[in-house]
Amino acid sequence: METLNFTAKNIVKKFPGVIALGGVNFELRAGEIHSICGENGAGKSTLIKVLSGIHAHGSYEGNLYLGDKPLILSSLKDAEQAGITVIYQELALIEDMTVAENIFLGREPTHNGIIDWHRIYNEAQQLLNQFHIDIDPTTRLGDLGVGQQQLVEIVKALGKKSRILILDEPTSALTEKEVEVLLSIVKNLRTQGISCVYISHKLEEVFDISDRITIIRDGQSITTLEAKKTNRDEVIHYMVGREIKDLFPRKKTSPGETLLKVSDLCVHDEEDKAALHDISLEVKAGEVLGIGGLMGSGRSELLLHIFGAWGKRRSGTVEIHGEPLQNHTPTQSIQKGLVMVSEDRKMYGLILEKDIGFNLSLSSLNSFSNMFLIDSAREFVANDKYFKSLRVKAPNLESIVENLSGGNQQKVVIGKALMTDPKIVFLDEPTRGIDVGAKLEVYELMNQLTEKGYAIIMISSELPELLGMSDRIMMLCEGRVGGTFVNENINQQQLMAAAMEAK
Amino acid sequence: MNSKLSTRDFSMLISLLIIWIIFAILSPTFVSARNLSILMIEFSIIAVLALGMLLIILPGHIDLSVGSGVGLFGGIASVLVFQYDWNATLAMCCSSILAVIVWWLMGTLVVKQKIPAFIITLGGLLIFKGCFWLVIQNSTIPVVKGGNTNLYSLLTTYYLPATAGYILCFIIVACVTYRKIINRRNRRAYGFEVESREISFMKVFVTAQGALLFVLISNQYKGIPLSVVILGMLALFVHILTEHTRFGRYLYAIGSNEKAAFISGIPVERLVIMSFAIMGGIVALTGFLQTAYAGASTTTIGNLMELDAIAACVIGGTSLKGGRGNVMGVLFGSLIMVSLLNGMTLLAISPEIKFITRGTVLTLAVWMDIRLSNK
Repeated sequence: METLNFTAKNIVKKFPGVIALGGVNFELRAGEIHSICGENGAGKSTLIKVLSGIHAHGSYEGNLYLGDKPLILSSLKDAEQAGITVIYQELALIEDMTVAENIFLGREPTHNGIIDWHRIYNEAQQLLNQFHIDIDPTTRLGDLGVGQQQLVEIVKALGKKSRILILDEPTSALTEKEVEVLLSIVKNLRTQGISCVYISHKLEEVFDISDRITIIRDGQSITTLEAKKTNRDEVIHYMVGREIKDLFPRKKTSPGETLLKVSDLCVHDEEDKAALHDISLEVKAGEVLGIGGLMGSGRSELLLHIFGAWGKRRSGTVEIHGEPLQNHTPTQSIQKGLVMVSEDRKMYGLILEKDIGFNLSLSSLNSFSNMFLIDSAREFVANDKYFKSLRVKAPNLESIVENLSGGNQQKVVIGKALMTDPKIVFLDEPTRGIDVGAKLEVYELMNQLTEKGYAIIMISSELPELLGMSDRIMMLCEGRVGGTFVNENINQQQLMAAAMEAK
Repeated sequence: MNSKLSTRDFSMLISLLIIWIIFAILSPTFVSARNLSILMIEFSIIAVLALGMLLIILPGHIDLSVGSGVGLFGGIASVLVFQYDWNATLAMCCSSILAVIVWWLMGTLVVKQKIPAFIITLGGLLIFKGCFWLVIQNSTIPVVKGGNTNLYSLLTTYYLPATAGYILCFIIVACVTYRKIINRRNRRAYGFEVESREISFMKVFVTAQGALLFVLISNQYKGIPLSVVILGMLALFVHILTEHTRFGRYLYAIGSNEKAAFISGIPVERLVIMSFAIMGGIVALTGFLQTAYAGASTTTIGNLMELDAIAACVIGGTSLKGGRGNVMGVLFGSLIMVSLLNGMTLLAISPEIKFITRGTVLTLAVWMDIRLSNK
């Protein structure tokens, strides 16, 4: 099957009250890797949904073309039949099946109605070999890392004779090593004539693999650049429409008293296996403690446990203002002034089908309630204050959160946390999947908070972010402290070494 | 609260009208004052139970045991009154308290032991049914001794005097108008979309017309049934609970995304147990109404009521996945369900066909729910 050019012309997509796309042009040439860059809310997700048939033909203006022929997509299935497949951030695979079963899911070859297992495993092996992917097709998918699962997902699409892949933030959950493997495989696809649309916030990756880059801003395609003839600053300039000089504007404040102190913490997980070992930390008012580590190092689990939402403590203490916390729930933590912004905002942060106001005030309804009733006037005033100060881009407080972009959703989650009037704020990957402009807003917000005497613990997978925003950094490795650093004269190599090997 | 009339609200209204028109044509007695009065009593019984079911479904659970519970707790009160000569009020209080405790226990099992509510309440369905038949010894136990009246029997036989009906109607219309004005003023102050003055006026006007019509028809027979007043008070209570209290907000949040609700500091377990406990009280109340309506406790009281209550919720736009649904919808859903049952009885439709119709309506309602929630 030959790969054809895939073109979108003058796409206009409107939602009630919002114009998501206001005339986007995009051309994917056969066999190229074409990145789409844009801030959160620029319209990337909507464009993907148009390209992949999720927004059916007719629900938007403009046309799609495959080669010279108009292409009418009414569903994901139509797109798949046309050879277009989207690889999502959230994987659509079944953990309890083997790699080969997943690759052939839904189109198992049969012989007289009986599944031909021999063929499944042979052909899966061939596919994996063809794309130089070193995974055993008989492995249970759940036993693979996220990065390898992502590769399986790609192979699954290619097995269906897809000629056009749309990769939506494929690396956001991967370690650096896994990213390298993924990128080299995507580059390899190009030599086999397969075209890729690549969406990522990580500009290094974009420059590493793209032939061309299209930039989208405020629902419009601004320009398409040859990757070789442009540079990072130019791309950022087009994305935000302004220049960003300093990516990490951390303002140091002199730390005050110790607000949170954790000593010798040992925690077991739900299956009673030891998960965290002998962890001690403390954080002072006005200070940002960064926590880093690889996937599975126990970063999120540590904060979730301190917050009262995960694991069973075997020994050690957690003290807020010198007051010990044990067997506590998130409700009690919030009352004590500790609040957490989770890593996965859709899963743990938001009530997606409700409006912004509902979400913002959810954790602090106590303070707007009389004995029994919610005082809607006071609630509105508080909601409105955060809605405006966080500059959430939406028509009003009654906009449904599900329709907001990632960055704006993140603002709502942070607003909800801040409204509880906390002293200590846990931010787990606060800038994951959000663009440069929104990142900067989050960083500035962190500065404002530390100036007001809040203590912040921030988890991040991105070392530059840890180095840029933390006063002190703790690296975790396999549930143990790999090293604690004062953020002066340290570099990424030192941090990485600590993440790889616990003391 | 959304100010727009959705297609769903509209289709509910239309299907209700169609059902009424069809029955009125097939059997003119359907719209007689007497039958409408009976319909209102039957409606209030189902709707009371469905309102309780709403509080269980909102946080994403289900209760299959309520039908048997209705029989059991009505039966307990009957036995206490008829065989042990207890005062009716005291008997009903004791029975209610017992029901609250039982439902509180079921809720505790659901959240603490993580047993799905479907299974716990399925067990409850069988256990309560058995207990019920033990309590009444498979016989018929009247709610009051020979020809007298007591509070228990009056639940479905007392009617408000005509004047009281008019006064009640006036008060309700005044309250609705006042709320509408306040609501519009607030929404405008908050910068939210405000529906046009004409639409607001029409809504209040139609409500007023409906209320007046209802009072006029009721007064043509014996007056407004007491059970309707009970339903009205409960509906107001549940409406305030779901729309204007933390408890209600939290139920929606839990039903939509339990994990996020937990991380947001909502005491998920305590709230679910509380909604089960409230359900216990409502089950007992429905038990008294249903038993009083039948005049005596017999083995068939409460049969399949859990399904009617669930159907009423779903028809009224409550999502079985949790997180969506409101009081007005549940009231409409109940009215549709009851109209069907009442009309079929009037037409002397055989029980076989009645079962099939009930099943079809329930299935269609769930199907519609799934279709609409995917959109």
